[in-house]
Amino acid sequence: MTPGVAPMLELRGVRAAYDSIDVLHGIDLVVPAGQVIALLGPNGAGKTTTLKVASGLHPAAAGDVFIAGRRVNGARADELACRGLCLVPEGRGVFPNLTVRENLWVMTYAGRSRSEIEEAAYARFPVLAERRTQQAGTLSGGEQQMLAMARGLATDPALLILDELSMGLAPLVVEQLYGLVAEVAAEGVSILVVEQFARVVLGVASRAAVMVAGHIVHEGLPAEIEATLSESYLGAGETEH
Amino acid sequence: MIEQPARVEQFQQEIDAMQLRDPAVTRERNLLRLGGILMVVGIVVAAGAYVLDRSANVNSGQAQQLDALSLGLLGVVITIVGGAMFLRYSLGQFLRFWLARLSYEQQAAADRLSGGPTPAPNPAAAPPKVAPAIKR
Repeated sequence: MTPGVAPMLELRGVRAAYDSIDVLHGIDLVVPAGQVIALLGPNGAGKTTTLKVASGLHPAAAGDVFIAGRRVNGARADELACRGLCLVPEGRGVFPNLTVRENLWVMTYAGRSRSEIEEAAYARFPVLAERRTQQAGTLSGGEQQMLAMARGLATDPALLILDELSMGLAPLVVEQLYGLVAEVAAEGVSILVVEQFARVVLGVASRAAVMVAGHIVHEGLPAEIEATLSESYLGAGETEH
Repeated sequence: MIEQPARVEQFQQEIDAMQLRDPAVTRERNLLRLGGILMVVGIVVAAGAYVLDRSANVNSGQAQQLDALSLGLLGVVITIVGGAMFLRYSLGQFLRFWLARLSYEQQAAADRLSGGPTPAPNPAAAPPKVAPAIKR
């Protein structure tokens, strides 16, 4: 962690539930400024719920959510998004019947003009410039994920939260996308990424945590986590993806 | 190392400047409940006005009936206001749900179609530091 700089995101003893079903049972997680934190775990571990709580989409039943050093329990997701917290949701969240450029225009809520947003997106993802008038639903899975990331990055986020970047994509495409994540991280954007492709994400992460059944069971450097993955949730000998 | 200290500082300042509400009190939900309560109160007031009107006797007669008339109108107004509030906020919730559902269904339809024709590959070579074209 950089001395003197508050963590961009910190969860302290966070609990969350859907109606009467408890999902998170006291999560402690820190995303220091300028670092990539990977959150791993099997399906149903509560990873996505953790991201929802962090981004204001789901209320914490107990515990504290700190963003940039301030407790933000109860803050609205759109308010956090306008200030620089960007969530790229599981399933990409693009509007399939809008064109690529119309999908990008959605991000003008943060105050940037359409042309600025398009320029920033096309500079990083040239393939989207060629598809600008194409409906997003007709893009390949990797291109849709690029569009989702381009939308998020177009707002100049300080904290980027990525949920299952690899979902439904070929391993080669996943590796390419994580190359982009590494580039974004090198620019100083703090990133929290939830992923099931453990090996790929550990290659770009500064630290990682493993969640199982609403608890964080391991937390440490990627090499340490990689060594404990099979014990943690995958079963012996199944750490490869 | 943080390469964007200014952005981090700006983010911290903007988060500090946020006006946070009590998470337990959501304005919309309270107004929806208030609308429902007002509807019930309005009906009770109107029913009370009817009882008052029917209980008028020879001595209190006209004055009491005028009071009952005013009270009845007040009940109707309260019911209309409450009904409008209830409709406004319940419709808001429903339309948000409908929009989210629509978005989800379109995404699901797009995913089903993704096995269809492959978009033309990107002929341009990717410059350094930018994303390469991704093939399906």
